[in-house]
Amino acid sequence: MNLEEYRAVFMVSSLALILITAAPTIGMVVSVPRSAERFSELWVLGPNHMAEGYPFNVRVGEEYRVLVGVGNHLGCSAYYTVYVKFRNSSQPLPDTSDSTPSPLPPLYEFQFLVLDGESWEAPLAFEFLEVSRLEDSCLVRRMSVNDVVFSVDSPSTWDSENNGLYYQLFLELWLYDAMSRSFQFHDRFVGIWLNMTG
Amino acid sequence: MVNGMSVLKSFVFLLVLLVFVSAVSVFEASALSEDVAALAIEEAEGVMASAYEAVLKAEGAGANVSVLVTRLNDAGDDLAQAHVSYRVGDFEGAARFADLCREIGEGVRVEALGLRDLAVAEAGQRFRWTMTGSIVGVVAIAFLSFLGWNVFKRRYYRRVLGMRPEVVTCEP
Repeated sequence: MNLEEYRAVFMVSSLALILITAAPTIGMVVSVPRSAERFSELWVLGPNHMAEGYPFNVRVGEEYRVLVGVGNHLGCSAYYTVYVKFRNSSQPLPDTSDSTPSPLPPLYEFQFLVLDGESWEAPLAFEFLEVSRLEDSCLVRRMSVNDVVFSVDSPSTWDSENNGLYYQLFLELWLYDAMSRSFQFHDRFVGIWLNMTG
Repeated sequence: MVNGMSVLKSFVFLLVLLVFVSAVSVFEASALSEDVAALAIEEAEGVMASAYEAVLKAEGAGANVSVLVTRLNDAGDDLAQAHVSYRVGDFEGAARFADLCREIGEGVRVEALGLRDLAVAEAGQRFRWTMTGSIVGVVAIAFLSFLGWNVFKRRYYRRVLGMRPEVVTCEP
C-alpha cells in the first residue's frame, strides 16, 4: 500500500469511530417511525382458558363462565370499555364495515387500561334466572351477569334450520379517543351462541 | 251527628293529603338521587379521562406508568360498576362507586403529572450527558486520528528514506 491508500484507510476508520460515538445522540434526536401494524385484540375463551368448552346448550338456574380478554398493540397505553350485550337472532349485531356498534343497550361493562404489548383478562359469569317457555318460542325475562341481575325481556322463536332457540351473548370493544374525549367503537366484537334448552 | 261526620271527612281529607305528599316526596327523592348519581358518574368519567391523558403524557415522556395503570384499572372497575348500578336503578350504589372512582382517578392524575415532570427532567439531563459524551468522544477521536496519522506518516517516510538501493545483477 502506498501513503494515499493508508490515508484513506485512516479517514474511513476515523469516520466510522466518530459515527459510533455520536450514535446515542443521533438516536435521541432522530426518531425512526415504527412500521408495525397497530391494532387491538378481543377474545372470549372457555372456562378452562382454552378456545373450547364454550357454553352452548344453556338452561335456567345454571351459571356459565367464560373469560374475556383484550390485547393492546397500539404503541401506547390504551383505555378500553368492553360492553356485554345480549340479543336474539333477529336483533342487530355491530357493523364493522362502517364502524357502527349494535344499537342494543349494554347489560354489563368493563373499563380498564392496558399497557402497550400487554393484555387484560376478566371472568364473565352469566345465568338465566327467569325464562318463559312456549312450544316453539321462549322469552328470557331476567338474567344475571357477574352477579348483577338485569331485566332482558328478549323473545326467541324456534329456528327450524338449526333446531334450537338461539340467543347470542356478545362483547363490543370500545376505545377511548383522547382527541374527542369520548369512547369510540373500535370495530371489534366477539360473541357466543346460546341454545336455550330448558 | 253532623259534627262527627265533619270530623270524619276532615280526617279522610288529611289522610289523602298525607298519602299524596309522601308519594310526591318519595318520587322527588328518587329523582334527586338519580340526578345525583348521573352527576357523580359524569364527574368520575371526566376525572378518569384526565387521569388517563396524564398517564399517556407521563408514558410519552418515558416514565414507567405500570403502577399508575394498575391503580387506574381499579378506578375503571368502580366506574364500570357505577354505570351498571345506574342501569339497574341502584342510584345510591352508582353514586358511591362513582365517588370511589373519582377519588382514585384524581390521585392518579396528580401522580402522573408529577411523574411526567420528573421523566421530562431526567430525559433532559440524560440528553445533555449523552450529547456531552458524544462531543467529547468525537473531538477525542478526531484529535487522536490526526495525531496517529502524523506519527504514522513520519514513521512511513523514515522507513522509506531508510531503505537502501540494492543493485541487482540482471543476467540475460
